[in-house]
Amino acid sequence: MAKLVLAVGVPHPPRLVREIADAGPGQLRAEALMKQVRQYVEKAAPDVIIEIDSDHFVNFFYDNVPAFCVGLAEEAQGPQEIWCPMPQYTVRGHVSMARALLSYGLRSNFDLAAAEELRLDHSMMVPLHFLNPSMEIPVVPLYTNGFCAPTPTARRCFSLGRMVRRFVEQWDQDQRVAIIASGCFAMDVGGPLRGWTDESWVGTVTALLEQGRYQNLARRATSQRMAAAGNNSTELLNWITLTGAVGDARPTFLETDDGSGYGVWDLEDGLS
Amino acid sequence: MSVYLINKILYMTDNDADFRKRMMDDPEGTVKSFPLNGEELEALITGDVGTLYQMGVHTFFLNHLARYEIFGLNRDNYLDRIRSGMEYDERFELGSMPVQYVPKE
Repeated sequence: MAKLVLAVGVPHPPRLVREIADAGPGQLRAEALMKQVRQYVEKAAPDVIIEIDSDHFVNFFYDNVPAFCVGLAEEAQGPQEIWCPMPQYTVRGHVSMARALLSYGLRSNFDLAAAEELRLDHSMMVPLHFLNPSMEIPVVPLYTNGFCAPTPTARRCFSLGRMVRRFVEQWDQDQRVAIIASGCFAMDVGGPLRGWTDESWVGTVTALLEQGRYQNLARRATSQRMAAAGNNSTELLNWITLTGAVGDARPTFLETDDGSGYGVWDLEDGLS
Repeated sequence: MSVYLINKILYMTDNDADFRKRMMDDPEGTVKSFPLNGEELEALITGDVGTLYQMGVHTFFLNHLARYEIFGLNRDNYLDRIRSGMEYDERFELGSMPVQYVPKE
């Protein structure tokens, strides 16, 4: 049977690769944190990654926005944005797993959308650049609508994560599975609060994650509260989906850098 | 419908290279080819992202106007313009994250 061995959460600053190159090696805290998270990924040696992410109007637009969507593509390229200075990659999908997740979801009252062709944006690619640099580990993208209001509730995302965990545990394949959640805790992109960080909300989110109070976090992360922390703060939904998948496990590692979090849940010893 | 169209114009600007070239070469003529009302066209053509924001255009898309330097917007004037018409907020003082420039093709 498959096993969920690791869950990590990281942000996806679109210029991070360039900023690290410009600053020189070892100068940026974000670089060090990505390296620390990557060490856990290397140690866990997953066979497949489920990446929980919110598309930034590259794959989806207002003409057709699924609340949740699983990627069925055999492979996909990214980042597609010409303003994201980083290497271009081809990411391998895992079609049989993605189809199994789609079917399991539908049987579990999660009416996931499905897409056989994907344009990957920076939010998919920046975490993979740092955590799956050879791109050898196949990836099942699991999208949540994060930016076209109204978005799914945090409580629904928590339930989605629980469903993903049950799916992995019953999946009849000898595969080690890792989850990557992509997103920040609090940030404003292109809005009037750009550059400001809601330190109070970052502190609340961090404390609830450290204490393992995941359902409490899902109750408190209302659309209104996340919006007050900046228009990009709904990316927290992807972390909340992750917390639904980790059971009672507490984070092995959790650090913040401004409005961004870097977290690791080592699940090797089994889910509690 | 029109806010949807403005979002769509800016979505295509970022995602469709041919449309982006039209927007860079003749932004005013390009947006006038869409059925926008006078107020919407005026706000777009004058780079009035503050008004567009209050109409409900998504900030991710408004950001593209500064990114691609269309209708007079750039990273130096974007924040002041999107805040125009808003009450002063002390959090504005803390905002310093730059708009990302696009490499010239």
